[in-house]
Amino acid sequence: MSSLDWVVLIATLAIIILYGVWKSRGQQNMESYFLGNQSMPWYIVLLSIIGTQASAITFISAPGQAYTDGMRFVQYYFGLPLAMVVLCITFVPIFHKLKVYTAYEFLEKRFDLKTRTLTSSLFLIQRGLSTGISICAPSIILSSLLGWNLYWTNMIMGGLLIIYTVAGGTRAVAYTQTLQLAIIFGGMFLAGWMVVHLLPADIGFKQALQVSGKMEKLNVIVTKFDWNDKYNIWSGVIGGFFLALSYFGTDQSQVGRYLTARSVKESRMGLLMNGLVKVPMQFLILLIGAMVFVFYLYFRAPIFFNEAQLARVRGTAQGPALEQLESRYNQLATRKQQQVKELATALEQEDAAAAATAKKALQQTDDQAQAVRSAALSLMKEADPAADTNDTNYIFLHFVVNNLPKGLVGLLIAIIFLAAWGSIAAALNSLASTTVIDIYQRLYNGHASPEHYLKVSKLWTLIWGVFCIVVAQFASGLGSLIEVVNVLGSWFYGVTLGIFMVAFYLKRVGGTATFWAAIAAEAVVLAMYGAEKVSFLWLNAIGCVLVVIFALMIQPFVKQKTIAG
Amino acid sequence: MAIGPEEEKPPLFPTWGYWYVLVIAWLALLIILFYLFTKTYS
Repeated sequence: MSSLDWVVLIATLAIIILYGVWKSRGQQNMESYFLGNQSMPWYIVLLSIIGTQASAITFISAPGQAYTDGMRFVQYYFGLPLAMVVLCITFVPIFHKLKVYTAYEFLEKRFDLKTRTLTSSLFLIQRGLSTGISICAPSIILSSLLGWNLYWTNMIMGGLLIIYTVAGGTRAVAYTQTLQLAIIFGGMFLAGWMVVHLLPADIGFKQALQVSGKMEKLNVIVTKFDWNDKYNIWSGVIGGFFLALSYFGTDQSQVGRYLTARSVKESRMGLLMNGLVKVPMQFLILLIGAMVFVFYLYFRAPIFFNEAQLARVRGTAQGPALEQLESRYNQLATRKQQQVKELATALEQEDAAAAATAKKALQQTDDQAQAVRSAALSLMKEADPAADTNDTNYIFLHFVVNNLPKGLVGLLIAIIFLAAWGSIAAALNSLASTTVIDIYQRLYNGHASPEHYLKVSKLWTLIWGVFCIVVAQFASGLGSLIEVVNVLGSWFYGVTLGIFMVAFYLKRVGGTATFWAAIAAEAVVLAMYGAEKVSFLWLNAIGCVLVVIFALMIQPFVKQKTIAG
Repeated sequence: MAIGPEEEKPPLFPTWGYWYVLVIAWLALLIILFYLFTKTYS
């Protein structure tokens, strides 16, 4: 990075920290610390919800996903608007009416203490581990691309935000997320504009879309159903609905955002607006990836985007063979450059026959290039069996670092930090609120002063911050971290959602039946994951349905036992 | 009688039901537009 990039990066991060500290003033008790005195308008709630969900990986990985697999990943978000509607009808009015700090408090009012403690414990395990991994994932990519020390990158990625999160609680989290998102959207817009601007002079946005479409990167809708296909319209609407309902309805990192709203009306508006903007937002982020794909048809792409990994293989016995494959890959890239020009010309002249011929030739060359790349990946595995041969997360940042002008590179790197901070800060705040409200205050110390609870809340925010950084330092050997986070979520989200579904809709089912149903469903979900029979996305729906069925089956026996007793 | 928090009137529309229909209709419209987008450029 140039000096200008460093100035932009440090200045952007410093502004956020100072802004967060400035917004931290006036914390007097747990209500102000965890609920922001329930004073937030809907647009702050909206931006806070988006900032919590959109982590660094969202902005790094989504364009790479479009580059490799096309834009069909957007279908993953189709269930989200439907989930927002259900939340507004069911969850939001109840949470506000009961004046809860956490979603799990409601479960004791509806069921009993053990169900509340079980659910809050599942949340703490899942969110604590996944936040640590969320710190590590972008750190690995940045440290590899820019040659930074991984441990120090983890410390900055997960450490600096602790300053304002500990000091200011949920209010500082919400206001910094607002500023962070303004910078993130501005930077991503500039990056998208630059991709098209950097294409050859005779290739405009329309031609780029046509080429990208012909290469099957604009496959937004896939209607074919397949249990093992993660991204089609069916898994998106149904699986995505259950995932979004679990995440926004039962994960305290999100529930804590809309509980800060000044009224039910403001919470609902924040959630409904999220339902309106989320899908188009993801579409635009993916479109950047589709444009980066076109860019690398005109300008040579490396055989593997994680160049640090490539460099390691060059120094091994497999190095000479890798160089031969790279040479072959570069020859094919030169041929592709010529063929893509022919395809663009044919499309421009609306010559369907010539376009079909050019597309076929380009596709054949691309297939050959992919075969050469596969051989190179096999060599990498041979040289280092522990090597991660998935470079999807490196594609967008490789483009940024190697092609964008000075200053903008620093801004895009800053965006990765800001996106990470937004979601991590919300996670730390929710981990602390669940620990203090559902565990410490409820089980150990229920009659202390407001000052004491405020002090304990700040202490637990700090403890969870340190815990997550420690997890991050050990997470680098876990393989594809984004998948690890999603798998962790799928283990617990469905069961947690099932508990809330029983609470809301099955009035005759009690706490004991729900508690044992949740334990049994969790065991089945983990066994199904181990058996590798279905894609992990479906585990959310399966876990939820199992809790409901098991609870209905167990309830009659619990009643009999109660009567007999 | 005072209006409870859950009965608060939404902005722009007379009831929340209109907002829910709007969100679902918007999703349906996006899916149709994305489908046409996919077909146009494939």
